[in-house]
Amino acid sequence: MTGGGHRTMGRTFLADTWWVAWRELKHFLGQKVRIFMTLIQPFIWLALMGNMFEKMAQVPGFPAKSYLDYMAPGVVTMVTLFGGIFGGMSIVWDRRLGFLNKLLAAPIARSAVVSGKMLAIAVQTAVQAFIIFVIARLMGVHFATGFFGMVMVIVLAALLSLVFAGISLSFGAAIKTHETLMAVMNFFTMPLMFTSNAMMPLSFMPSWLQAIAKVNPLSFAINPMRSLFLTGWNAHELVSGVLVLSLVSLAAGWVATRLFRRATT
Amino acid sequence: MSGQTNGGNSTNIIEVKDLVKVYPGGIRAVRGVTFDVKKGEIFGFLGPNGAGKTTTILMLITLLEPTSGRATLCGYDLIRQPDEVRVRIGYVSQDIAVDENLTGWENLALQGHLYHLDSKTIAERSREVLDMVDLTERAGALVSTYSGGMRKRLDIAEGLIHRPEILFLDEPTLGLDIQTRARIWEYIRRLRDEEGITVFMTTHYMDEADKLCDRIAIMDHGQIVALGTPSELKAGIGGDLLLLEVDGLPAPAKPHEEHNGPNTPVGAAERAQAPAAPRAEEFAAFLGGLDGVVKVGTADDGRWMLVVTAGEETAPRVLGAVNRRGLVVRSLAIKRPSLDDVFLHHTGRALREDEGAGSFIRQRMSLRRARM
Repeated sequence: MTGGGHRTMGRTFLADTWWVAWRELKHFLGQKVRIFMTLIQPFIWLALMGNMFEKMAQVPGFPAKSYLDYMAPGVVTMVTLFGGIFGGMSIVWDRRLGFLNKLLAAPIARSAVVSGKMLAIAVQTAVQAFIIFVIARLMGVHFATGFFGMVMVIVLAALLSLVFAGISLSFGAAIKTHETLMAVMNFFTMPLMFTSNAMMPLSFMPSWLQAIAKVNPLSFAINPMRSLFLTGWNAHELVSGVLVLSLVSLAAGWVATRLFRRATT
Repeated sequence: MSGQTNGGNSTNIIEVKDLVKVYPGGIRAVRGVTFDVKKGEIFGFLGPNGAGKTTTILMLITLLEPTSGRATLCGYDLIRQPDEVRVRIGYVSQDIAVDENLTGWENLALQGHLYHLDSKTIAERSREVLDMVDLTERAGALVSTYSGGMRKRLDIAEGLIHRPEILFLDEPTLGLDIQTRARIWEYIRRLRDEEGITVFMTTHYMDEADKLCDRIAIMDHGQIVALGTPSELKAGIGGDLLLLEVDGLPAPAKPHEEHNGPNTPVGAAERAQAPAAPRAEEFAAFLGGLDGVVKVGTADDGRWMLVVTAGEETAPRVLGAVNRRGLVVRSLAIKRPSLDDVFLHHTGRALREDEGAGSFIRQRMSLRRARM
């Protein structure tokens, strides 16, 4: 009766991850306003912030010719942060709507639910990063490393989004209302943003802030990205950035799966 | 099917023994239930909200870990072989958990892929199950444009796409209108008759359990209080019911006061305080001594409720005897037992379909929170 059409269990983790992600991406594509905002938001950020802080580029020791050049990778990470950190929201919604139980009753691994949602966020972030890149270039932002540099910018953004998605899903597994999750995540976003060098060079900060900025996960994406924009290939920065972000995102995904398992049994 | 030999009786597709669930915080939602479900049966859990029906389902579909006890489904152990169990069962929750941002087809495709069916199989079976629930025409539209009944039908179709051996339906007609409910009942019967699927469902609607289920387990406070076919359960009361209203002598308040809480009819509680109480007890003994009277109790509305053999013959006898005592019978009704009476018989309370009672809602909400 049950027979035909079943694939072997165990080898299906990637397929399961994809189908969970497919659903999330379908949601994203179905929301026209959200897509519009995704397009318009980086433009506003760049135009507004670029103008607001234009004078900063004249300060001696500022590492870029224009503030816009300096700001572009900052905008990529900012949008990545916001996109990733609210990824846990979808799990809270699914729980509320009863869809989570449907996912969990299916013969798929708990970890595939987490990795699927993380993958969906990474794909969205990659698309956003590409759009920001194009808009920035159209606005005359300098870029030092050509096509492969752009690919690396997108890869770094996607990896960073995995970190925040993992953190957000961990909280989403434990916290069961949107309001609380929203409050907790908001508590993260702004401090993460302002204790990084996304908008201001390290050298302009007081020493205590510099110490924090150096271990801020955002920095591991911003530093290599900024080099790709402003100066050129920096193998050391790139390798350590990709490595650290990969490890932290794996750890975050692992924690999310653990918490998720505990929350559902 | 291979590997289906490790169960006990081969006609039992579900075997449950002493299943218990205590939620963190000490809510004892299921307090040791034992039952078997036969292959090809429509088996129902009937009980009020908060009785532990959904918790039992969540354990049987591997979403909740039982605190103790064991169960086998399709011959596989629930706790040791959850993956084997999962591929063989379908689950339709009471939440109508269809994705409204996807179309009907997309919902089915997603469900099919999560059960590891290949695309060709998914396409075939989607057509089959959509046809079965009469949704083929609207399958291309976004679910956000569907009515509640259509969503429920799509949800049931999703539960069927991998051809489960057992389909779990949690309150399948909750909140649906009469016509839609009748249609859903028809689909459920067809599943059993045409596809040979065993259906395990929960409901708090008595008519639904009565019309649809081959066998029913009546649940209350996390325990099964009665189990059998609807006619067995009704026969178990021991006869017909006589409802008697005597001038100036109401029936005594019901036992199980601690369970009753907000469910006790206001009148009955007031009457319990009345000075008539000793007289009522004496009268109850008198009624119980009459020929053909099996049991004397109190109906939900405060009338005397007698279980009698052969209602038509016993009624005039009771009427005459009461009159001879100089009491006036204000009304007398003969009634065949319904499942409601069965529930009352076993729990001392009526199974209300629209429980507005606060404590029940609160208990239910705390259960839901515990489950989340």
